[in-house]
Amino acid sequence: MRDDRHRWPATADFNAPIDLGSATLTPVPLTRQTLVSGPDVRAQINQALIGWPDIVENDSYAIACRRDRIMRINGPDAREGWDAANNQAISDASDAYAVFDLTGTDAMDLLKRGAEISLQSPSKSVARILFGLGVFLYRVGDKVFRLHVARCDADALVGLLKSAGKSGRSD
Amino acid sequence: MTSFRADYGGLIDRSRELKFSFDGKPYQGFAGDTLASALLANGVRVVGRSFKYHRPRGVWSAWVDEPNAIMAVTLNGRELPNCLATTTMLEDGMQVRSVNAWPSAAFDLKGGLDIFHRWLCAGFYYKTFIWPNWHMFEPAIRKMAGLGSVSTDVIDDYVSDQIHEHCDVLVVGAGAAGLVAARTAAEAGHKVVLADDHHAPGGSLYQVDRVEGRAPQDWIDEQVTALQAAGGRLLCSSTAFGVYDHGLVGLIECGHFATAPRLWRLRCARVVLATGALDRPMTFADNDKPGVMSLFGAAELLARYGVVPGREIALISNHSLFKNAVQQLESAGAKVRVLEASTTALQARGRKVLSGVSVDGQHYQADALLVSAGLTPLVHLWCHAGGKLQWCEQRQTFLPGAPPAQMTAIGAANGTFDLAAALDEARAAGSGQSASRSDAAVQFTPHWPAPNSTGRQWIDFQHDVTLKDIELAARENYVSVEHLKRYTTLGMAADQGKTSNMAGLAAMATIQGVDIPHVGTTAFRPPFVPVPLEAYHGHHTKSHYHPVKRLVLEPQHRAANAALCEYGGWLRPGWYGSGERDAIIQVEAKMARDSAGILDASPLGKIEVMGPDAEDFVNFVYYNSVGNLKPGHIRYGFMLSESGFVFDDGVISRVDQHKFVISCSSSHVDSVRNHLESWRQDGNDPARIFVHDMTQQWATVTVTGPKAREILASLDLGIDLAADAFPHMTFREADYQASSVRVARVSFTGDTSFEVSIRASRAPLLWNTLLAAAAPLGGGPIGIEALSILRTEKGYIMVGKDMDGETMPHDLGFGGPREKKNTAFVGDRSLHGAMANERDRKTLVGLTVADGAPPLPIGAHAISETSSPRSIGYVTSSYQSPNLGRPVALGLIENGHDRIGESIHIRHREQFRSATIAPVCAFDPQGARLNA
Repeated sequence: MRDDRHRWPATADFNAPIDLGSATLTPVPLTRQTLVSGPDVRAQINQALIGWPDIVENDSYAIACRRDRIMRINGPDAREGWDAANNQAISDASDAYAVFDLTGTDAMDLLKRGAEISLQSPSKSVARILFGLGVFLYRVGDKVFRLHVARCDADALVGLLKSAGKSGRSD
Repeated sequence: MTSFRADYGGLIDRSRELKFSFDGKPYQGFAGDTLASALLANGVRVVGRSFKYHRPRGVWSAWVDEPNAIMAVTLNGRELPNCLATTTMLEDGMQVRSVNAWPSAAFDLKGGLDIFHRWLCAGFYYKTFIWPNWHMFEPAIRKMAGLGSVSTDVIDDYVSDQIHEHCDVLVVGAGAAGLVAARTAAEAGHKVVLADDHHAPGGSLYQVDRVEGRAPQDWIDEQVTALQAAGGRLLCSSTAFGVYDHGLVGLIECGHFATAPRLWRLRCARVVLATGALDRPMTFADNDKPGVMSLFGAAELLARYGVVPGREIALISNHSLFKNAVQQLESAGAKVRVLEASTTALQARGRKVLSGVSVDGQHYQADALLVSAGLTPLVHLWCHAGGKLQWCEQRQTFLPGAPPAQMTAIGAANGTFDLAAALDEARAAGSGQSASRSDAAVQFTPHWPAPNSTGRQWIDFQHDVTLKDIELAARENYVSVEHLKRYTTLGMAADQGKTSNMAGLAAMATIQGVDIPHVGTTAFRPPFVPVPLEAYHGHHTKSHYHPVKRLVLEPQHRAANAALCEYGGWLRPGWYGSGERDAIIQVEAKMARDSAGILDASPLGKIEVMGPDAEDFVNFVYYNSVGNLKPGHIRYGFMLSESGFVFDDGVISRVDQHKFVISCSSSHVDSVRNHLESWRQDGNDPARIFVHDMTQQWATVTVTGPKAREILASLDLGIDLAADAFPHMTFREADYQASSVRVARVSFTGDTSFEVSIRASRAPLLWNTLLAAAAPLGGGPIGIEALSILRTEKGYIMVGKDMDGETMPHDLGFGGPREKKNTAFVGDRSLHGAMANERDRKTLVGLTVADGAPPLPIGAHAISETSSPRSIGYVTSSYQSPNLGRPVALGLIENGHDRIGESIHIRHREQFRSATIAPVCAFDPQGARLNA
């Protein structure tokens, strides 16, 4: 096997804003991310349920991942496992996803380089493929986009966003 | 007129002179020129050599249908091969070379090949290079074939941008019809994109004097201004190259030379094709002579670039649309003679370039012969989308027929060659109405190739396909258009037959005595123009092409001087420390057996299956029985495909009645998750089973070796670690520094092992604590390479390495569930078929070598001892074991389980070895250390 340590830059710490040229990527520390699945989970949740292109208004909310799955953000501590009373499967995912806010006037333009996305095309789910990587993507402000990406793919996503950020505007 | 440049006109900037060279000779052009227009303006007639015969070739057209003017261009040290001179914009300092010619296009040493043309007909290499062996000639033929060569230099920042966009209406082509359609749609409130492959909109409008009573440039500016005012978007230098499913259109936007083009993935609710039409060549003797040009191509060169194709021009056309071109050319100072001739009566004259034309023996002097055998609508995108074509006898061409969903063709692309009618169509299409095609205002006289006529007549200029090649194909019964195409290579060059397909079909129709529609057309497929592969992968290049997954403990591994290697898509430590790699790995493997090894096992899957039906579901997707697994216990098992082949192995931990954690192979996490999700949703009740892939939430550190228990005790987890209290294949949950941990007593080394999983952010603390505890005991970190030795000593398989795509569980020594499991499971049926019961299936065995012999090469084949030796299996894993003092190996060998003790021959790269088939486990076969 070949020693490739020099081919790959050391993994980043992600504790400071990252300049993407036309936008800025800022790491977001969240208190808790909880994955909840269940046949009626979307109706059962008592937090604001965010789809695309909804804008998050509170610190505590839930994002819709698919028809039977949500992720509670900064929600209450919950016992992991099968909740028979509510028919819900619950897993703590607080360390599973790296979270970033993408800001800047070109933020949407940058996202369009990695995903077929439009504010005019709503979706109940925030799950997207961005530059070939699975992410949760939604808005926390008019032009502020929040991204959750699997922790192991965070370096790749940041690298791809940096590369795309070097491209000029498309309009 | 200076040289071949008109004194006025064109879109070029005459105040900006650009210098360039062609085949070493210096020339100059203007900003706004293409390479082709600049060369023609300088009087260069021979711009390349033909593919097979190395015949001199000149510029045929003014845009993407150009078959001849292909060049290698260098600018500022960046070289691109096979640039189309008619679409490559001139830039200052360009060094241009003709392709397929040496030393130059004007004088090519291989030009002599043309003398042997009688022996170089279609398919000649299949017929003439049979004896003694085709492969003897193949390298030389391949070297001679092809146009241009790719530079080995890498252009560092050549990265294509990609962008996804969508619109209500995409109008392709910014000619008269396209501009009006786009403006109309935009003013109706639609989100409109108008794309055109030229750097300036207008199409062929610059060839005419007035458009709706206005100068062309003024009229075009007005349309563009109105379009943009209504919110429409104009994309210039952008070619729509393909239409794909669900309204997706691919566009390639070109910038300056040697900058990577931008790919647009445009999702369109509706597409309006205003792509225009191409001029068709005439087929007559020596019709490939430099100086023979497309009538409308020449008109376009004059209109856009102020280039006059010749001073004394002959013109032959099968329609009346030539009159405006004649007027423009004469205004520019050229003398134009309009001739009438059939193809059989016509011959181009001149040695290397055109000097005249013969018509029925009558000679006319000419330095340019402009021909038009009709107009072919550009229907490529129409056909990509599934649109049908219909033959129009009046127009002598195929026109858009039954339309594909949400697509309309207008203007010349629809066979409407009259400007006023085209504008009416455009307004209708822009407002969403169906555009009805009016009767042709122009008559086209049939002017097709005449088989059996004299002289060499070219059908496909770029691939050197002649009329005689078509006749030959017909004689040899390659009469289907698809066979004709492949036998002769007609239409298979980079231009995809833009100028040749119609002539080829017509020739075959005449030979067969049928109508052209009976011959049919070949399929149009994307891309419409060559697209650099770079555009397709965009930002996914170099380290972003297939980025590795990163460990949360990578900083700790780097600090420990780990060699980081890619294993199954993860960047993981292969070994630790500097020095001789193999020696370090041996030391690590020995340390793990003597004391303890600490391994970062975080990539191991941690997939949670929960719900009322979780037990039945896990029992169903696993080969092994899981239903009787008690909470707190772990079981090793295989997942199979429906074919019964091993898909993955791993361990299942039962947390409670309704929750299981599946720890699958590190590199298979994504596929196992998808496999589970697929079966969950198909054949099971998805409301009663839920699958959460929590691999990223948890980091896992494995402590393995005789000192493992002692090291784990340093965490003070409050767990009784004694062997009888915490036996092999069980797990415990505990708290460590206020974080939950899951400690599993499972082993991939055959020694006492504990896998400690903790939330990822706490992993560095766990790692450092365990290393600190291991150091005084002689333990330390180990990489994947040492782990591979340890598991091979024990005969533990690695999925993907110790099996092939047909390995079943009983091939690996796990036949029990196949015989005994009495509930349904994925792959069950296939395990009882004839294939599964073949006696000579390859089964996993150990392989030993003679004392002192080196390890067997991985991948080496075991060879049968028969008169015709054949492979009976191969070595899958092989290492030098520092713990046994000899090599250990695993292999898949036919009927291996019944051949223990048998000696076999091993062959690798013409070297022969011998080995003895042995049980898979070479170390501690009783498992005393495992259960200690």
